[in-house]
Amino acid sequence: MVYLDNAATTPMDEEVIRRVHESMRDVFANSGTRYRIGLDAKRRIEQSTELIAEHLEIPSTHRILFTSGGTESNNLFVKGLCFPDKKAAFTGMEHSSITESLSFLKQFGNDPCSLLPFQKEGRLDLDSVSILKENRVKLLCLSHANNELGTVNDPLQIISALAKESPQTKLFLDGVQAIGKLKLDGSAWKSLAGYSISGHKIHGPKGIGLLIFDSRLVLNPQMHGGKQQFGVRSGTLPLPLIVGLEVAIKRAVAITEQNQKHFHGLRRRLIKGLKKIQGRFSKLKIRFNSLVDEDVTRQSPAILNFSFPPVEGEVILHHLEAKNIFVGLGSACSARLREPSKILMGIGLSEEQARCSLRISFSHNNTTDEVDQFLEVFEEAYQNLYPTFSQKVEHR
Amino acid sequence: MTEKRTVLIRYDEIGLKGRNRKFFEKCLLRNIKRALSCADEIDYRSPRGRIFLDIPLSFVTECVARLKTIPGIASFSIGICMKPDFDAISTLGIQWIEPRLESRKNSLKFCVKTRRSAKSFPKTSQEVNFEVGSRIMNKLSQQGLIVNINEAEYILEIEIGNSETMVFDNREPGLRGLPVGSSGNVLCLLSGGIDSPVAAFMMACRGCRVHFVFFDNQLFLGRGGYEKVLRLAKKINRFQGRGTLFVVPFQNMQGAIRDHCNEENRVVLYRRMMYRIAGEIAGRYGFMALVTGESLGQVASQTLENLAAVSCITSLSVFQPLIGMNKESIIRRAKEIGTYEISIEPQPDCCSIFMPGNPVTRSKISVMERDEKKIPWEELRDDALAKMEIIGVDNL
Repeated sequence: MVYLDNAATTPMDEEVIRRVHESMRDVFANSGTRYRIGLDAKRRIEQSTELIAEHLEIPSTHRILFTSGGTESNNLFVKGLCFPDKKAAFTGMEHSSITESLSFLKQFGNDPCSLLPFQKEGRLDLDSVSILKENRVKLLCLSHANNELGTVNDPLQIISALAKESPQTKLFLDGVQAIGKLKLDGSAWKSLAGYSISGHKIHGPKGIGLLIFDSRLVLNPQMHGGKQQFGVRSGTLPLPLIVGLEVAIKRAVAITEQNQKHFHGLRRRLIKGLKKIQGRFSKLKIRFNSLVDEDVTRQSPAILNFSFPPVEGEVILHHLEAKNIFVGLGSACSARLREPSKILMGIGLSEEQARCSLRISFSHNNTTDEVDQFLEVFEEAYQNLYPTFSQKVEHR
Repeated sequence: MTEKRTVLIRYDEIGLKGRNRKFFEKCLLRNIKRALSCADEIDYRSPRGRIFLDIPLSFVTECVARLKTIPGIASFSIGICMKPDFDAISTLGIQWIEPRLESRKNSLKFCVKTRRSAKSFPKTSQEVNFEVGSRIMNKLSQQGLIVNINEAEYILEIEIGNSETMVFDNREPGLRGLPVGSSGNVLCLLSGGIDSPVAAFMMACRGCRVHFVFFDNQLFLGRGGYEKVLRLAKKINRFQGRGTLFVVPFQNMQGAIRDHCNEENRVVLYRRMMYRIAGEIAGRYGFMALVTGESLGQVASQTLENLAAVSCITSLSVFQPLIGMNKESIIRRAKEIGTYEISIEPQPDCCSIFMPGNPVTRSKISVMERDEKKIPWEELRDDALAKMEIIGVDNL
């Protein structure tokens, strides 16, 4: 099997599986209880939390909160902070857990400020930051790395632009696609209001994520109950998942640089290979929706998104699937709606270009050989399908 | 000893079957035994016109749910078998009525209804009603129980048979129709949509054992449709058991039609080929008719001309039980049988490249015949049949 959809999810690391399994077997007690085995569980969670803080260089000014994943972290921070009337801004290119949370606030009269005209390639144009001040925006919500394109909003650059142009605006970053692919400089924390991470995107368990936030901020809980985790997120803590997450973060952070090198190699090979196919088959006109350069302050090396009209991405996807190669759609149709997501349309693609696209995303497990296999099957499928799809366009 | 309850099962149409009645009764009894095979300790008896089961009290809820999935049952009641002793029957009645009286704030209209199949019983039905009713009234009239034959809110029923007397106070409606297996085997063209599962269910209620054929195109549409059809077939099979699902790979046939035949004829040609393949399967397995979910005029392909141009392909009977139903009624039915939620899950039921812009609405058989000569359909049909997957739905 060739798995090239690591931005959707990743297989769990063996070490993670082992540690999760051990904890499930050995430490079952509720960490909220007063007896010895409960206190043991509590200590294990505290240890994991401290280790996570160490791996990510999180200062004591910030709190680390365990959630069920990226979606919950984003919901908790955005709604917890901005409800009812704190003004937020976003580009519209963020993950739906941010855009939908913001649109939920609309019903209370809290309209977020859209920066859609001030982004390129899914990245915020830093020259537009002064708008935030004019609009009295209290919170800027961005993806650290965009989930469909991999384009990057570099924290340090944004922080310095905010400090100059709109000092009262706090920054929240969705880091779900960034950890393990982009280095998060420890110095960024003091200017970061919040940051979210998901376990399963970094070879950790599904069902666990982190919200790291400035402890001076008051977040309204979205989940009420036993007042665990500073009263912000109630619910018994899932110790095995927390232990697994810690192992996954440790590994992801440790191999970030190595990953970048590896991903750049794979990505270069992929881009070159696609261009070669284009050379052999002149009907293929590839448009790279991700940036092709290797500047990690602009583009994640783990993702390449490209369009190839008129052949539909989903049909190519199933042809690849038949050969046991798994890739992502360039424009992830939101699970229930069968229309292209806003991201590719947002960077100026037509609906056809958005539909006719794929997203390749790497993990450290991928090899150059796998990229070659993908290219081979892609070329064959494209050549076979082109006549059909071009005929369809003519008929219209 | 396990506490027992008796189930009285009534059937309606079988009663009209004259000399074939025995055969229908045997079918129904066999289906009931199969549906309840998960529980042991059930005694079955079938005196004329009725089926009685003695079941453990703990199995009542499960038994009710299962009996409601068996075509051929008009209604059933759960009660207690006892000697035809008026005092004992009245005591039981009082025991049942008292809590109802309380919950209805001491005002309840009731009556006793007796049916006497044992004509040798020394009292008439009217007399039994009086004997039991008066005993109950003696005890409960002070508490607000009122006799009201026409507007009774509570009916105590007594069935006096030759060998046993049953007392009950409930009637659950059944699916009615005829027992599965009494009419033979048919083959239903199942898609992932709302209609065809309802059509299959309706034929099961007319005594047919329905088998299913699904035309799959995983290379273009992925595995979503296949998974959905497995679940739909399983849902419908609950009403009958022993169904078979045939999955026919259809991409080559569909691709050939798309590439070589007139675009506007595609839909009708696809369906002609589906009927041909279904006809072959029916021939091989001795199925006596095809079943489809068509409803006249519902979509462009379902005009009288198009239906004729498709069904003329086969000498088998083609049943379209939904032909005169509107969409709302079909949806209501689909909800009742539990297939609706599966059917509406998003799934590309036909990739856009296979669908024509303007499908023909008044097709001519001669035109279709000419058009399909452009492809080697016999070869494609045989190839699809050779690669067909056969799934026993009971094992899903």
